[in-house]
Amino acid sequence: MELLIKNGAVFDPVNGIKGDKTDISIKDGKIVNNVSSRATVIDAGGRLVMAGGVDAHSHIAGAKVNVGRIMRPEDTRSGIKPRTKITRPWTGYTVPNVYAMGYRYAQMGYTTVFEAAQAIMKARHTHEELEEIPIIDKGALTLFGSNWPTMDYVREKDMDKLAAYVAWGLLASRGFGIKVVNPGGGEMWGFGKNVTSLDDVVPNFDVTPREIIVSLMKVNEMLGLPHSVHLHCNNLGKPGNYTTTLASMELAKQVKPSRDRQVLHVTHLTFNVWGGTNWGDFESKADEIANYLNNSENITTDMGQLIFGSATTMTADGPVQYANAKLLHAKWANGDVELEDASGVVPIYYVKQISVHAIMWAMGLELALLTKDPFKVLLTTDHPNGGPFVNYPEVVTLLMSNKKRQEEIKTLHEAVHKRTKIPGIDRELGWSEIAAMTRAGPAKVLGLLDTKGHLGVGADADISVFDIKPDQVDPSVEHAKVKSALSSAAYTIKGGEVVVKDGQITATPMGRTYWVDASVPAEHTEIMMKDIRMKFKNYYSINLANYMVQDAYLTHPQVVKAGVIPVEVR
Amino acid sequence: MQTVTLKPKKEMKISVEVENITPDRFAGKSEKEIQAIEAWMGNQKTTLGDLFSVKVEGSGTAADTKIVMEGDLSRVKRIGEGMTAGLIIIKGNVDMHLGAKMNGGKITVSGNADSWAGREMKGGEIIIEGDAGYYLGGGARGETCGMRGGKITVMGSALDYVGDHMCGGEIVVKGNAGILPGLSNNGGKIVIEGNTSRPGSEMVKGTIIVNGTVEEMMPVFKLEGSEAVDGVTYRKYTGDVIVSGKGLLYVK
Repeated sequence: MELLIKNGAVFDPVNGIKGDKTDISIKDGKIVNNVSSRATVIDAGGRLVMAGGVDAHSHIAGAKVNVGRIMRPEDTRSGIKPRTKITRPWTGYTVPNVYAMGYRYAQMGYTTVFEAAQAIMKARHTHEELEEIPIIDKGALTLFGSNWPTMDYVREKDMDKLAAYVAWGLLASRGFGIKVVNPGGGEMWGFGKNVTSLDDVVPNFDVTPREIIVSLMKVNEMLGLPHSVHLHCNNLGKPGNYTTTLASMELAKQVKPSRDRQVLHVTHLTFNVWGGTNWGDFESKADEIANYLNNSENITTDMGQLIFGSATTMTADGPVQYANAKLLHAKWANGDVELEDASGVVPIYYVKQISVHAIMWAMGLELALLTKDPFKVLLTTDHPNGGPFVNYPEVVTLLMSNKKRQEEIKTLHEAVHKRTKIPGIDRELGWSEIAAMTRAGPAKVLGLLDTKGHLGVGADADISVFDIKPDQVDPSVEHAKVKSALSSAAYTIKGGEVVVKDGQITATPMGRTYWVDASVPAEHTEIMMKDIRMKFKNYYSINLANYMVQDAYLTHPQVVKAGVIPVEVR
Repeated sequence: MQTVTLKPKKEMKISVEVENITPDRFAGKSEKEIQAIEAWMGNQKTTLGDLFSVKVEGSGTAADTKIVMEGDLSRVKRIGEGMTAGLIIIKGNVDMHLGAKMNGGKITVSGNADSWAGREMKGGEIIIEGDAGYYLGGGARGETCGMRGGKITVMGSALDYVGDHMCGGEIVVKGNAGILPGLSNNGGKIVIEGNTSRPGSEMVKGTIIVNGTVEEMMPVFKLEGSEAVDGVTYRKYTGDVIVSGKGLLYVK
């Protein structure tokens, strides 16, 4: 199967292509140097061509996503599309059904999406859903930050055992990387408490969030995992938390990356760059965080941009969700994952005239616009916490057009003028920067840049073509055109197959599920497993044999190898 | 003035959804045009003309349009959905979701209305001369607001959850109401002339007046003494204290 995309205005920051007319040849699902004359030709006719979108942080599958669906039947009343010959029914907005997850991402030209948090114990559920999400490639990050074995080994300073546990946990959950959510807080929440700083001691374990984060970063690099530690900071959702965020970022200096990527990804900063001491003097400190990012290496972040309207907050951060539910008088679901973590789900409605929401809207944009390197700030909405992912085109237009931002600011609470810097920022991003924030950047952050996020030879043939001619349309002025083009791709090509044409789904192949098989010395696994067996015998409600995600759960696995290589072998 | 008369042509054994029967949709339309309007019977798409005989007299705007429905309508759902003006007169019983999301105008039913009559309505008036089912003026599953405005009067009795998650408007039940009327009331007014049980649970705002007997009180209300409303003396309660509610509950 050969395909040739001709005359595209290609933006590919990895290969230094900035809108030049470039032909892309595709054979057997990969990008190649050239194809034969028998290749099917798609004439892009000067329209925008980028690699398929990559989302490194979204909540698309698993226990808490499904709790969101269960507790929000009203959400299912929107976004309904009946089945067709090709597609199954679509439902929902903030918590769409599994089919709509895949279709809507593909419609926007996205082809790879990573679920940002799965507890090992709930991983079977995650994979059951991932197996039903059509078209896109996917993977899931596994929670390690409040797990009992993690905290035991951190206290004992036994990095070999911790590495063995992480490697085994990734296998058990068929996970892709280390996610850390409010480290220590998940355990404290079991006692109705929370940690409030990096140096609070977690009772019964005698470890601090600082030690947990640093140890997991060390182990991540010992194992040479493709992705870095992916951190949801402590104190999320509390005014003044930007100091905790900065202190957490400082920890990245203690560890050297084992690969060409960051050592720490600090996620959804819209919820972590909060100044002030209460809701009255709440203000944005995104400028300070951006300043820090501009002067540091080895740290990446994502926006977690707020979108006005309905959202469903869902996180492994149990205590923050209790606080949210109390504050908002909203529905609240709480989860306890035995020895691993907590979770919570709370619906929210973001309102333009509420000062805190208006300021939060500005935070993600400030961060993206004040940070010089677009590879350091990925475009996300922390779907569906800041808002549903279908709003990415809206976020892109806000970043590309100061006019659009000023129009929006006029409709917001006046606090956006006094407590944020956004009204005075006139930077407008170009297509190369957008391609970095939505394609190359996330692929690099995930450690998948060899095959994802660019259009060089050897990359997966995941390509998006949009009905907009970059040399004729000025995104700064004609932002409505940009939004409509990005919402409905002219073509989305996944693995060399046309899956979307003119915004309509044309094929629904099943994507692959990425997971990391990390090797550690067998003797480390052996002694670690003694502890694990003991924990199952004494504490877990299920048996070890019923805990592991088996091969049958992944019908299209994509295994990435990593692991500890003994020094003498090197 | 336009009058449209609809009578079922055939026995409806499975439910029929007719959200398009509104004065807004019918205003100024001929018999033929109304007959062609889409409706659903079970999972089959059909037309109003297939289901009903349609007779039109005169022509007018929505506010000037009267729809008269006669016959066995007990499987007909969603009559008057989202209507903003005009009048619907129903002679008989109707199925669920009567006048859902309606914004204005008036609906009268000579018989009974099944559950979710006046679901999420914002304005206008519904008068049910018989009984009402569950969730009268309530919200659909999961919604934070049921009825937001307008008025519903039930001459007979209503089943459980009258005014569930109500955020405004008024409901009057002349007979008895089932359990938990005004559940999660967030600003609506409910008057129950007959008996009920456990009113006002999770109530944050709004008013509930019970003139009959309250068989069981939720232990989440604070007695504030007695107060006269329209010349009648009640015991006045505030609550639900668990949700720091400021709702008012008047019990004889």
